[in-house]
This record gives sequence, C-alpha cells and structure tokens, in this order.
Amino acid sequence: MKKRSFFGIAPPKLTYEILEDAQPETVSVAPGEKITLFIDVPFEKASTALLKLGDEVMGGEKLRMYPDSEAYAVSPVAGKIDAIMPFLGIMGKQMTSVTIRVAGDGRTDDAFGKAMQTPSLETAGAFLAALPGKPDFDQLMDAGRPVKTIVVIGADQDLLTVTNQSIVKNEIASVKTGMDTLRKITGIQNVILVVPSHLVQAAGAAGVGVKSIGNAYPSAHPALVVLNLLTDLGSSRSSGIAFFSAEAAAQIGVAFKTGQLPLKKHLTFVKKDGSRQLVSAPIGTHVKDILETLGESVKTGDRIIFGGPMTGNAIYSLDHPVQPDTDTIIIQDQEEIVLSADTPCINCGQCVRVCPTNVPVNELIRYLDAGEYEQAEQQAELDACIECGYCTSVCEARIPIFQFIRLAKHALERMKAAEEENA
Amino acid sequence: MPNRMKLTVSHAPFWHTGSKVSTKYYQIFAAALIAVIAGLLHYGIPAVAVVTFSVATAMIWELVMNMAVRKPTSIGDGNAALIGLLFAMLLPATTPWWVVLTGTFVAVVIGKQIYGGLGGNPFNPVIVSFAVLMIAWPQHFDYNVALVNYQFDFNPVYPLVLFKSYGPSAIESFSIMDMLLGRQVGGIGATFGLGLIIGGIYLIIRGYIRWEISVAFLAGVGLTALAFNLSNPELYAGPAFHLLTGFTLIGAFFLATEDSSSPVNFIPMLIYGLLGGIMTVLIRNSGAHVEGVVYAILLINLVNPIIDKIRPKAKRRVMNYA
Ligand code: SF4
Ligand code: SF4
Repeated sequence: MKKRSFFGIAPPKLTYEILEDAQPETVSVAPGEKITLFIDVPFEKASTALLKLGDEVMGGEKLRMYPDSEAYAVSPVAGKIDAIMPFLGIMGKQMTSVTIRVAGDGRTDDAFGKAMQTPSLETAGAFLAALPGKPDFDQLMDAGRPVKTIVVIGADQDLLTVTNQSIVKNEIASVKTGMDTLRKITGIQNVILVVPSHLVQAAGAAGVGVKSIGNAYPSAHPALVVLNLLTDLGSSRSSGIAFFSAEAAAQIGVAFKTGQLPLKKHLTFVKKDGSRQLVSAPIGTHVKDILETLGESVKTGDRIIFGGPMTGNAIYSLDHPVQPDTDTIIIQDQEEIVLSADTPCINCGQCVRVCPTNVPVNELIRYLDAGEYEQAEQQAELDACIECGYCTSVCEARIPIFQFIRLAKHALERMKAAEEENA
Repeated sequence: MPNRMKLTVSHAPFWHTGSKVSTKYYQIFAAALIAVIAGLLHYGIPAVAVVTFSVATAMIWELVMNMAVRKPTSIGDGNAALIGLLFAMLLPATTPWWVVLTGTFVAVVIGKQIYGGLGGNPFNPVIVSFAVLMIAWPQHFDYNVALVNYQFDFNPVYPLVLFKSYGPSAIESFSIMDMLLGRQVGGIGATFGLGLIIGGIYLIIRGYIRWEISVAFLAGVGLTALAFNLSNPELYAGPAFHLLTGFTLIGAFFLATEDSSSPVNFIPMLIYGLLGGIMTVLIRNSGAHVEGVVYAILLINLVNPIIDKIRPKAKRRVMNYA
C-alpha cells in the first residue's frame, strides 16, 4: 500500500514492480477437484446448447456454448461437465461459467494439431484466443482498420506484478517464435517489443525492434506507449496498431512449435504480507487451490483481487478461477482496506496532478455525480481517460471516481448502441 | 465452509494513499492555531471568547443545516470549525457576540451550505461573510476604535489606516521585526506574521495547500508594492510593509488557498495568486478601502472558473485500442 508520505508537496509517485535478478522458483499449482471456465456469451436455457451436464471433455478441447456464438474456452484438463451457470462479470457483463470435474485420464484433443498444419490467422483466431495472456486476434481481422504494426508489451500493466517481465526474462525464445509466427500469419513486418528499461538487454535476443519504457505507472499502458514511443508511426494516430502481451506472444510461439495448446497461466501471487510468488496454474484453477498450495489463509472481510491493485477486480468467491488474463492475484488483509466515502469533491486537485492523460477529473466528477454523461464527454474529456485508476487512489474525498467513469462509459456505449439500432 | 466466506468486494483501485478530508482540515486548523495563540496572548480573554464562540457557532450552523436539508452530519470533517477559526482570526478581539454569530451564519449557511455544502462554494465562505459584515457594521471593523481600550507597548494604530491617512512616513515606526512578531494592531490571528508564515510553510510542505497560489499571491503583493514604491516612494510604502500588514499573510496561506474557490491547474493557480496580490495592493494604494485582501480574494474567486479553464490539453487515446 502506498501511503501518503509526510511530504505532500509533490503528488505520490506509483512505480511498477521490478523483477529482480534472484527470484524464487515458480510454484506449479495443480487444479483441485474441479476447474471453472468462462465463455464470453450470455447464458440461456436453449435446447441447442452444445454443452450439457455430464458431457465428457478432453484436455485441450475447445468448448463452445451455442451454435450461433463463436465464443469459446479451452479446457486444460480432461473431465466431466459438472455445472453450467450464468456468470455476471464486471459492469454486469453476462457470461457463462462451465465447471468441469477433473478426471485424470489425460486424453487430449488434437484438433489444433491438425489445423495448425496450415498456419493462418484464422487458425490462430479459432484456437488460440483462450491462451494465457488472452491474445486478441480480432484486432487483426478488422477489415475497416488495417493493422500496420504489432506491438508486444513485455512489461506489466499493473503494479506489484512481474508476470510479463518474467516471460521476457525466462522465455524470450518463445516470445521470439511467437512474434515470428505473428509476422508470418499476418504478413505484417513491423513488429516491436516494448520492455521496461532493465530488460532491454534480455529483449535483444528477440531479434526485433526493442523500445524501452520508464518505471512510472501507467507508462506501460498501450495508449501511453503509443503516445510516448510510437509517435513516428505515421501521422494518423489511428493507424493500425495491434497489441499483444509478452505472455500471449510466448504462448502463441509454443502452440505453433509443439502443436499443443499451452494452457498454464503464469501469474504473480501477492500474499498478505506483501511477499510475492510466481505461480503457474492451469487456466480454470480455483483460487482456493492456489491458496492451499501456497499456505496462505483468507478470512472474512479480506479482499482477493484478480489483477493489479489499480485496475483489477475484487472477487466474491474462493471458487473463482484463473482466467487467461489473470496476471496477478493479490490477497489484501481487511486492515489494509480503505473504503470509499460519500464526501463530495472538495476540489483539492490531487487527481488532476496525477492523471497521465490530463483529464480534468475535478470537473469530470461533477458531471458524473450528476449523471450528466454526455456533458462529461463533451466538456470534461471523459473519453481521454485510459482507466488507470490513479486519480481514485489519491482522491482526498475518497470518491470512487474510477467506478463512476466505468459506469458512465458503459451507459454511453449502451446509449450509442441503442441510437444505432433505432437509426 | 470456506466457500461461503464473505470477502470484501469493491471497485478498483484497491490502493489508496489514506488521505482524507478531515485530516486535511484538522491540519490546517492546527497550523492556523500558531498565529491564533499569539493573538490570544496579546488580547487576552476577549479574544479567547471571540475565537471559541466563532468556532462553536460555525459548527452549530453546520449541524443545523445538516438537519434542515437531511444530509449526514458533516461537522466531524472539521471544515465548519476551520471556517469559524479563520473568521475569528480576522476579527478585532472586541467584536460583540452577535456580530460573530451573524458572521458564522453568513459564512456557513450563505457562503457554503446554500451551494450544496463542502466543495460546492464558488467563494471562500470566510471572505464572503467578512465582506458582508464589513459593509453592514463598518464601526466594528475599525481596528483602532475597536481596540482603543488596550494598552500596548507598541504603536496602537492599525498600520494600514495610518498609511492610508498619512503615507509611508507615518509607518516608519513599524519595523519588519515588529510586524513579524505581531507587534501591530489588527485581527486576532492576522498579525503574528511569523506564525502565519510557519503555519503556511508547514501546510505547503505537507501538501495541504497548493504552494503555487500562496507564492503567486505574495509575489503579486510584493511586486506591485515595489512598482508603486519605485514610482513614488513619497506616496507609497514598500513591499515589506504590504507583505506583513493587514491580511496579506493570512490571505496568501489560509484564505486564497481554499480548495473549492481556487483553481487546480498550474498556470491558472499562478494567475489566480498573482491577480489576488496585485488587486490587494491596488485597492490599498488607490481604492477607497483600507484593506484590499478581502475584496481581492472575492474578485479572484469570481474569475476562478474562467481562469481554471486554461488547462493542459488532454492526451487523446488512440482510437484503435479497445
Ligand atoms: S483513471 Fe482516467 S481520469 Fe483517472 S487518472 Fe487514470 S486516466 Fe486520468
Ligand atoms: S482528488 Fe477527489 S476531492 Fe480532490 S479534486 Fe479530485 S475528485 Fe475532487
């Protein structure tokens, strides 16, 4: 926890964690009795559902919910479907959660092994989107916005995390294979690797252009990487750039090299005492199995955060599974938690001083508080916000500004969608 | 059953600096007390009465308004108490109780609560109240008359009046040291310059007030006074006199810096402060009023929303990153 220091004349600086040279071994966590996978499609009771209770699944099998939805998850284990339920994600996002009882007979699916004989972007999109690091192939397939540059970010997006740094450090060969593969299947020659300055040397082995970023949060954010580093990429800011995390690139590399889908997620686990442990666990592993393996205990009132302290999500249940983009799990003791308050904005300006994109947060929060979302966009730069959470962590009135911002953006999106439908 | 365990769930971020509104106001309150104590030593029991009555009534008005508009009780945040304290600091020690009572009413109810309470006021509530009362009962704000029954071992005349009436030669009896140490007539908490400076610097270092405003305000006063002084030393006093008398110091550190009525962007803070300082001296040197700080701050409060529009351009995110 970054406390206000005695000297408050300059705003508090948040810095990314640096992966030191001597690091403890990665602990491998095996899934317990069950695993859970999320499929990005709203749950409905339909007779056409492709998955049913009791269905057998194989390790590496691609699981889709309905014939008319392409969304899928990939099971890292063999077993039997135990439960299918709706799951409500952040901002009320509707998903389907599929729980699988693990049966250890190790049968594996070879659909990807066959499909990869003809490596293509379509194959990657059809099989690799659920890999650790959650590679987004859709950004490469949008015909309206041709991508000219692929940027692989070998830095971590949030604080306390060393997941992507450890990939650059330990698996740079896979990252290289992944980047070569991406180049091959997309035909895009311009591939750039962005790393924190202490990893520039390690990153050199990837054989691509390397750019380094500073240690101040949130400089690893893709939007800031573009604003600060990639200004030479043509005059139009919207000239296509596609982003992948180093982990995603590495796993793409492994997949195409071995013909198997790598489904072990690397993550940084931060204990209550602040100590950190690198963990590797199959996607879908319940957090309680990780807690058990590491001997960390959680009590009522504590907080479990998936993702970093600035942008992660607090979860409700110890059965919550590791997802393809879970780079960090943080256990926070109840004592450490500062809850937000309902004090109004006092116009202290702390938020304005820390915002990386110069959003006038003190004005913004007044519009948001009044529910004037369109005004917020037109008068107070709502759309310039990159959702880093910095403002909220320094707010003297302890206003949940970030939550207001997400709600407003969500509401505006829905309004725009409704307008388009009616037009 | 560990799975039923109730975890704390809330929205990101999960880190907070731990700062809060009440800490801030208590800190400012404490910093202001340094100057108040010197005033209490000078003026004795009447000053103690004015200060405590002012703080208490400000808090009561806040409570009354909380109940009237059915909002959660907010006197715990220390803001009302601070308003009461700062208001009392401007007053002569002999101010009648009903003037204090009216003053805190105007400050808390009309200056702050009408605009929705904390953070909503476009003007500094203390300044609003003081300006109104100065017009309503000018006789109670004449520091010479008000303090006539005191025996001082220094020149018992409000320096700004002396200067206004007789020019710079009349104020030669005030040394810089006297003014710093509070050996001058004035508001209860406004004369002990050294105390105000120490309190102000403390608040700046701790980050409770924005240094840009204080520094720019003092620079505005100093530079304008210097310009006048150079143009005609016979007629106009030098910077040191203007910086150390009247409400300059309390204004620069405690009044102009009030959060809600001041800008937050860098350039606007400098403009705001400078303008306040310049206006202060202009009013003193060529206006009808003896003291310029109150009206100068009212004026910069007024233009604050316009000034604060000068802000760095937002960095637009790239359109293609989802
Ligand atoms: S969350 Fe948005 S408004 Fe707040 S500091 Fe980050 S970019 Fe600025
Ligand atoms: S940090 Fe909070 S209280 Fe301060 S100006 Fe920003 S939103 Fe208002």
